[in-house]
Amino acid sequence: MLRVRDADDPALTESLRQSGLALTLDEVRRIASTLERDPTIVEAHAFDAQWSEHCSYKSSRHHLARLPTTGPTVMQGPQEDAGIVHLGEWRGKRYGIVIAHESHNHPSQVVPFEGAATGVGGIVRDVLCMGARVIALADPLRFGPLEDPHCRYVAQGIVDGIAAYGNAIGVPTIAGDVYVHEGFRDNCLVNVVALGLIDEAGIIHSAAPPGSAGWDIVLVGKATDRSGFGGAAFSSLVLDEADAQQNRAAVQVPDPFLKNVLMRASYRAFDTIRERGLTVGFKDLGAGGIMGCTAELAAGGGFGARIDLDRCPTSQPNLPAAVVAVGETQERLAWVVPPEFTPTLLGIYNDEFSLPLIAEQAQAAVIGTITAEPSYVLLSGGETVMNVPIDVLTRGVRYERDYVLPIASSAAPPEAMTQRRLGDILPRVLAHRDVCSRRAIYERFDSVVRGTTSIPSGYADAGLIVPLPGAPLACALAVDGNPRYAVLDPERAAEHAVVESIRNVVAVGAIPAGMTDCLNYGNPENARHMGEFVAGIDGLATAARELGVPFVSGNVSLYNQSAAGCAIPASPIVACVGTLADVSRSATPALKKIGSVLYRLGTVPPGLGGSVVAEVLGITSDVPSPDYDATRREIAALLQAHRDGLVLAAHDVSDGGLLVTLCEMAFYAGAEVGVLLDVELDVHGAFAESGAFVVETGRPAEFEALCARHGAALTRLGMTIAEPVVRGPRGLDIPLSALHEAWTAPLNDFYADVLPDAAHA
Amino acid sequence: MSARVGIVVFPGTNSEEETLRACLAVGLEAALVPWNAHPDGLRSLDAFVLPGGFAYEDRVRAGAIAAHDRLMSAVRAAAAAGKPVLGICNGAQVLVESGLVPALDDVERPQVGFTRNAPAGKYRSTHVHVKLAIAPERCTLTASLPPGAVLPAWASHGEGRLAGEPDVLARVQREGRIAFVYCDAHGAVSAQSVPNGSALGAAALVNARGNVLALMPHPERDAWTYMHHGRERERARGDAAQMLATSGGIALFAGLARAVSA
Repeated sequence: MLRVRDADDPALTESLRQSGLALTLDEVRRIASTLERDPTIVEAHAFDAQWSEHCSYKSSRHHLARLPTTGPTVMQGPQEDAGIVHLGEWRGKRYGIVIAHESHNHPSQVVPFEGAATGVGGIVRDVLCMGARVIALADPLRFGPLEDPHCRYVAQGIVDGIAAYGNAIGVPTIAGDVYVHEGFRDNCLVNVVALGLIDEAGIIHSAAPPGSAGWDIVLVGKATDRSGFGGAAFSSLVLDEADAQQNRAAVQVPDPFLKNVLMRASYRAFDTIRERGLTVGFKDLGAGGIMGCTAELAAGGGFGARIDLDRCPTSQPNLPAAVVAVGETQERLAWVVPPEFTPTLLGIYNDEFSLPLIAEQAQAAVIGTITAEPSYVLLSGGETVMNVPIDVLTRGVRYERDYVLPIASSAAPPEAMTQRRLGDILPRVLAHRDVCSRRAIYERFDSVVRGTTSIPSGYADAGLIVPLPGAPLACALAVDGNPRYAVLDPERAAEHAVVESIRNVVAVGAIPAGMTDCLNYGNPENARHMGEFVAGIDGLATAARELGVPFVSGNVSLYNQSAAGCAIPASPIVACVGTLADVSRSATPALKKIGSVLYRLGTVPPGLGGSVVAEVLGITSDVPSPDYDATRREIAALLQAHRDGLVLAAHDVSDGGLLVTLCEMAFYAGAEVGVLLDVELDVHGAFAESGAFVVETGRPAEFEALCARHGAALTRLGMTIAEPVVRGPRGLDIPLSALHEAWTAPLNDFYADVLPDAAHA
Repeated sequence: MSARVGIVVFPGTNSEEETLRACLAVGLEAALVPWNAHPDGLRSLDAFVLPGGFAYEDRVRAGAIAAHDRLMSAVRAAAAAGKPVLGICNGAQVLVESGLVPALDDVERPQVGFTRNAPAGKYRSTHVHVKLAIAPERCTLTASLPPGAVLPAWASHGEGRLAGEPDVLARVQREGRIAFVYCDAHGAVSAQSVPNGSALGAAALVNARGNVLALMPHPERDAWTYMHHGRERERARGDAAQMLATSGGIALFAGLARAVSA
C-alpha cells in the first residue's frame, strides 16, 4: 500500500518521489478518497499513467473540443487511436485512409536513436490496431542549432532512429519537414504521422464489442521487460538534465525486426477475422502498458476486465507487478476475441508466423477476460494487486488551467525596398537553414518500399501514393508548422500550419480530405505557455473552418521546455491528407517544358514577419494574416486546372518565397530548365512566403480563363527557357548551378563529423 | 502450365508484396514462400526470387544469417539445377553471403561482399539507373534485353558497395560476373552515378552459369509508370490506364518470365 490518508504532505511528497510517481498530492489524495482506502503500489502506478497529461489530456481536452471534426469525407473522427477519411470506391468496396499523429519529443531528446525509433513504432501500432494496412509515414522534425555539437548529435540520432525503424518494417516515408530553431536546443520535437489503408467493412475498434463479457484478452508481441517503466508520466514532466540518467530508463527499446513480423501476422489475423465475420476488439499497448490498453479496451465497451499478470510473458525474471502492469515494453498489442476463436488467433501468431522463434518469449497469450462487472482487476502471485472501478481509472482528471493569451508582436510594415538587389539576397535565402535542401536527411528514409509510391519525399510539396494496387485512387500527405511564425504570433502560426499543409496537397493535385494535429507546447501550469496553446487551438479551428477541412485525429504534447523554463516555440504541427480519384491527374513541381508559361496563382498578403528574408535582412514585421477568401479561390482554381490537364507543374510558395519556389522547380527538373522572369518584383513579391502557388502551363489562355472564372488572382511571371539560369529585370541573372550549390551546401555535411551508426539500417 | 515462382520471405523481409505483384504482372504464377516452410515442399518450383528487406535484422552482416536458413537448401538445389534465381537488394546480399554468386571456380562460399556504403556509411534511398554490362545471353534473366539495356531502379540500402580482394575483383570483372553497372539516365557510366561507392560501379553480380543474378537496386520500385519521374510519366498524364501500366524496371521481371518458360 502507498500510505496516503494518514500521511502529511511532506511525507507523502517523499513517498511519491521514492516510488517514482508523478501524481500530485491533490491527485493521489483524490484517488484514496474515491477508493475509500489507500491505493496499492500497483494502483498508484496505474493512476500515475492513466491520469498523466499524456494519457488523459487533462489540461487540453476541453480546448480540443473547439476543433471542427466532421464533414462528408470523415469516416471516423477523433475518438480512437486514429481517424479515418474516405479515399474512394474500388470494385464494390469503400476504402478509407487511417491517419494518426504522435510526438516522441522527450524520449528523443534523452536517447535520440531509440526515442525516435519507438515514436515510429508507436504510431504504426495506432494505425495497425484499426485493422488497417500501414502504408505511409511522415516525420516533422524540429532541431536546435546544428552548429551545436549536442544538437547535431540529437538530430543525427533521431534521423538514424527513424530510418532504422521505418525502413525495416517496410513502410515508405513519403513526407516530412525539418525546421531548425534556437528554441529547440534543449527540447527537440519528433512528430510522426502514419497512414493506413482500410476497407470500411474491416474497421476494428479499440473497444470490447457488445456482448463480449467472458471473452478472452490476448496479448501479442514482445515479452514484457523492464524497459519503458514510467514513460507516460515522464513525458508529462519538464525535462531536467540532472534526471537524464533516470529518464533514460523510461525510454522504450525498439524492435523493428519483430514488428515487421508482427504486422504481417496481424494482417493475416485481419483477413481471417473478415472471413469468419467476427467482431473483435484490438488496441496497441502504449502509455500505461498492459493496464492502460486493457482498461481502455474494456471501458470502451462498458465492461470491466480481469488480468492475471502471471500469464503475461516476460523476458526477465522477478519483474515487480507494477512493472508488468504499466511498463511500456514496445511491440505489443491486445485483442478481445471470443474464446472459440482464440486457438486460431494464437495459431496465426505462434505457429504460422512463429513469433517465439523471432524474439525470445515473443508470442500471443491469453492474459485475462472481459467481465460484466465494471471493475478493473489485476492478479499477481495469486493475490489481487489492483481492484478499482474502471471508469474512475480511465476517465482521468480535468484541469481548467489558467491562461494568458499571447500578444502578437506588432511592427510597422517595412518600406517597399525596391532598391534591394534580388540577386544578392536570393543565394542567402536559399542557403537559410529552413530553406536549404534536406536531401541528406530524406535519403536516409525509404520512400518507395511497398511499390506504391508515385511522388517520394523530396520530389514535391506532398508525398503521393497509390495505395490500392491496380486502382487509380491516390493519397497525398503533407505536414507543416513554422516556428518562425510561432515565436511572433502563435495563433497565426497555427492558421498558417493548416493553410500550408492544405496547399501542399493541392499543389500535387489532391483534394484535402482531413487533417491531424500534433500540438507541441510548453508547460500548461504556466499561464503564458497555456495561453499559447489556447491561441493555437483558436488558430487551427479558424483555418480548418474557413477552408472546410476537418481534423480527424491528433495528439497533444505539453511540458516541452528545458529545466531553465524556456518553452519551445509554440508548435502546432499539422498533417493534411488529400485524395485523388485518378493518379494520372497529379503533377509534380519539377519544370517540364522549355517555352511554357509561369504564373503566380494567388496573392501574398502584406507583411514579412517570420519570413526567411526578414531574418536575412534583419527586418521586423507582422506575421501576415491568411486571406481565406483568396485561398479558397486559388485552391478551387488549381484543383480544376489539375483535373483539366492544364498544369505541367505546380509548387506552393512557402519558406523562402516566390524566387525560391521557382528555383526549387528548376532544381527538381535537374537544373536543366531555366526561368526568365518578365515581371519586376520587389523584396516582398520575391520573398514573402505566406500564400500563392507557382504554376507552369503549356496552355496559358485556357489557364487564364479558368482562373478568371474562379475569381483567383493571377500574375504572369515569365517563361521557362533552355538556358540554366534564373534571369529577370534589373540585372537578376544567376546560373542555376550557383543557386543549386547555395541550396545544397548547408546540409551536405550533416554526417560529416560522425562515424557510421552502430545500429545500422 | 505456367511456371511457378517462389518469393522467399525471411523474418525481416519487407519487399515481398511488390515483388510478387511484379511477377504476377508479367504472367508468372508466383506465391510467397515463408521461411518456416519445409524445403522439401519447394523442390518443384521453377524459380526463386529473394526480395528486399532486412532478413534476420541484418545481424552480423546483411544476408549472413539468411544465407544459412534451412530454406536456402531449396534455393541452392534450384540454382544447381539451372533454374533462375533472382536476388534483389537484401536478396542479393543473401546470394553473395551464400556463395551462389559470384561462385568463382564454382566454389559456394562468400568471395566478395556487398558492404557498407561509402563515403557516409549510411543507408541511402535514391533513384538510379543500371546498365546491362554483359552480353544479354550471358544471363538467362537478361537474355531478352537489348545489349546495354538501361533500366530505372531505386538503390535503397546501407550495404550495397561491392568490395573484395583486388585479385578477386579483377577476376569478377574479367570473367564477366558484373551483370549491371550504375549509370545515368542516358546510359553514361561515371563515378557520379554510383550511389554507394561500389567497386567497378557494380550494381549486380551473376554466376558462371548465368542463372543466378544478385541485383542491389530495386527494379520493382520503378516498374509502373506512376512511379516514374520523366517523360514516360508526362505522356501518361490524364490517362489512368497508361499511368497504372507496367514499364521501366518491369523489363527484368519480363526477363525472368522468359527465363522460366525457356
